[in-house]
Amino acid sequence: MNKLIKNIMFAGVGGQGLILMTRIISQAAMKDDFDIKSNDVVGLSQRGGMVWGNVRIGKKIFSPNIRPGEGDILVAMEPLEALRWSAKLRDDGLIIMNSKRFYPTIVQQEKEEYPEVAIEDLKANMNVIEINAFEEAKNLGKKQVANVMLLGILAKHLEIKVETWKETIKDNVPEKAIDLNMQAFDLGYVYQG
Amino acid sequence: MDGKAGEKRALTGNEAIARGFYEAGGVVASSYPGSPTVEILEKTKVYEEIYGEFSTNEKVALEVGIGGSFSGARAMVSMKHVGVNIAADPLMTFTLTPTNGGFLLVTGDDPGLASSQNEQDNRVLGKFAHLGILDPSDSQEAKDYTKKALEISEHFEIPMLLRITSRLCHSRSVVVLEDRQEVKSKGINRSKEKFCMIPPGSRRAQMFMKERLQKLEEYAYDTELNTLEEKQGSDTLLITSGLVYYNLKEVEPEASIWKLGLVYPISKKRAKEITSQYKRIIVIEEMMPFIENELKLMGIECEGKKYFEYTGELDVPDIEEGLYQAGLLKNKPEGSKRFVETVSRPPLFCTGCPHRPTFDILKKSKAKVVVGDIGCYSLAALFPFEQSNSIISMGASIGMTKGIRKAMSLTKEEEPLVTVIGDGTFFHSGLPTFVNLLHQKKDNENMTFIVLDNRTTAMTGGQHNGSSGLYNERDDMRVGIKTLLETMGFDRIKEINQYDYKAAEKLFKEEIAYEGLSIIVVNGPCALRYNLEKPYFYVDPKICISCRACIRTNCPPLRMIEYEGIEKLKSSIDKDMCVGCSVCAQVCPVNAIKSSKASEKEGE
Repeated sequence: MNKLIKNIMFAGVGGQGLILMTRIISQAAMKDDFDIKSNDVVGLSQRGGMVWGNVRIGKKIFSPNIRPGEGDILVAMEPLEALRWSAKLRDDGLIIMNSKRFYPTIVQQEKEEYPEVAIEDLKANMNVIEINAFEEAKNLGKKQVANVMLLGILAKHLEIKVETWKETIKDNVPEKAIDLNMQAFDLGYVYQG
Repeated sequence: MDGKAGEKRALTGNEAIARGFYEAGGVVASSYPGSPTVEILEKTKVYEEIYGEFSTNEKVALEVGIGGSFSGARAMVSMKHVGVNIAADPLMTFTLTPTNGGFLLVTGDDPGLASSQNEQDNRVLGKFAHLGILDPSDSQEAKDYTKKALEISEHFEIPMLLRITSRLCHSRSVVVLEDRQEVKSKGINRSKEKFCMIPPGSRRAQMFMKERLQKLEEYAYDTELNTLEEKQGSDTLLITSGLVYYNLKEVEPEASIWKLGLVYPISKKRAKEITSQYKRIIVIEEMMPFIENELKLMGIECEGKKYFEYTGELDVPDIEEGLYQAGLLKNKPEGSKRFVETVSRPPLFCTGCPHRPTFDILKKSKAKVVVGDIGCYSLAALFPFEQSNSIISMGASIGMTKGIRKAMSLTKEEEPLVTVIGDGTFFHSGLPTFVNLLHQKKDNENMTFIVLDNRTTAMTGGQHNGSSGLYNERDDMRVGIKTLLETMGFDRIKEINQYDYKAAEKLFKEEIAYEGLSIIVVNGPCALRYNLEKPYFYVDPKICISCRACIRTNCPPLRMIEYEGIEKLKSSIDKDMCVGCSVCAQVCPVNAIKSSKASEKEGE
């Protein structure tokens, strides 16, 4: 296998802006001369269902899909989704997890419990960086920048230049939101967990 | 998507097709929105050189595209796989005529049914319609093949099909941009015997269609669209196409690979030449054994579906498993564990969705049979509403209801029937079925048709449709559904604001009880498209009686939680998610749910 390949996975709930994240990473990696392939699930699952995506970065990428057990980093915008997709990670993989919970219908209707215990186990047994990006973003002024904060954390673990990240984010957000997004990225970049 | 020649972009397959059409000098693009191909038209609309439209349905979209080609300009029509069924009528005859300007039909197939009601392999439809079929493997090829397809179309006067799959539509890879090539329009070809498909001209056209494909098969002999990767010393040949090719490359098999970009027609001469060099031929393809069957028809011995699933996608582990079964991999591959077994998260109506109160009311109503249709409201079939007894295809609910009613009436079953249809679906293919309801109508036949008019095609991301202009200044179509139905000849049509829960509940009850045909047009803007954002609501836990009436509406911000010092679980609302639609407050029997705006006024 090509050792340079980094497999980054995303998981979240429909409507959280996952596709924008895969787009930004893909573009940033490409700007720094990596080959990329990415993958998003869209459609029906936009409506509050589970969504996932991934980006593969390396010298030469064939398939956009990540094989089970070969994910390097999982960026999870929701804890239950972090749990669900954690099995696709390598044993020593990293999980960057937003702690804001979105309760599925079956939990809301009190048929099943939200798996708090299993999530605690996950945090104890795997390499997890947890952040309440949603609250932090609200404090900055706009809950929508939570994703960019998570990208800031991710950026620290990839060989893409900080300037490239920032340039790419600027290309993808509305002009008036650039400052806020830069602040969110910086906050993520220095976040210690 | 501006950009100069030589620039690299990370594009999705959809974006790449749009770019390819632009670079090819495309002029007319049309579509009907459906996952996975929505983005294709959205991206072509960016270029002012291209006329792009989301048409009323796929048949109309195809007709617009045919017109473009007939006028001598390059045309592209994109749709999801089931859309081609709607367009099949003009398509099957259009393929008898020569193309004038290059013509490309893009079909988004959905192996694994990620967002579709069925999984059909449109390569089969393509062959049925005598189209040439291209199958790209990544975004760069999606762009290149779009251009190539238009060239082939003009050269052989054949309409071409670009088959793409959901995975490729939405996956991103590096694409090198090129400049637009202006293609001069050929002008209309007025040759009647070629374009008016009535006998005897149409009989001659059958021969033309056959000869045209024979010429394309000769072209297929040495086209660069098909590539052979020979592995030294291997006696096995793997034949594949599309994204499956790159998944196969991950496995690094000890075998040669013949990758087909042009999957139909396949050159028999070339196929025989290549396959005769190998002892074993294995075809790896998603869904139906299309290439496998083509080869078998040529008398070439090969295997394929024996080792690979007939449905769903073929990801790397699936290919490994198949190759292991075929004896080409020595070690048994590890299983493909996808995720931890945990609480499922099916899709649900968005926060503030106007359809939610409709289905909450229906759940409590006397309606025994609810006939559903295609759109966001299909989600009503899921827990907790479970208010759809059937979902078949766009617009089918109306015609089916008539059949159900007539059959039930003959056996004296009188229970009320309720049918739902969204505005997008109403305009797409509901209209003729509504006309049909007026035929052999009996006065005492109890049918209630609810038209869910949120004035957008919400399921696919909010594209416009016939009634969008009534809410949105920028949209040019302002078709009032109630007026339209009245003009058709229906006499009992009520209209109601869907957010007015109590009034809607009363109206539903009356109309369902009414022994005859009635129509209710329920209005409420799509909360996403029209950005519903009013002051949030909150629960006063001291008043809440834990009855869960609000929870049963299934709005995402609602949940039962523990409050400090209160023994029972009480309802709560996540204020960051609430858009203030007020439905939960209206169903609360004790007024425990209040608007934050009202409380501010009260000085709380």
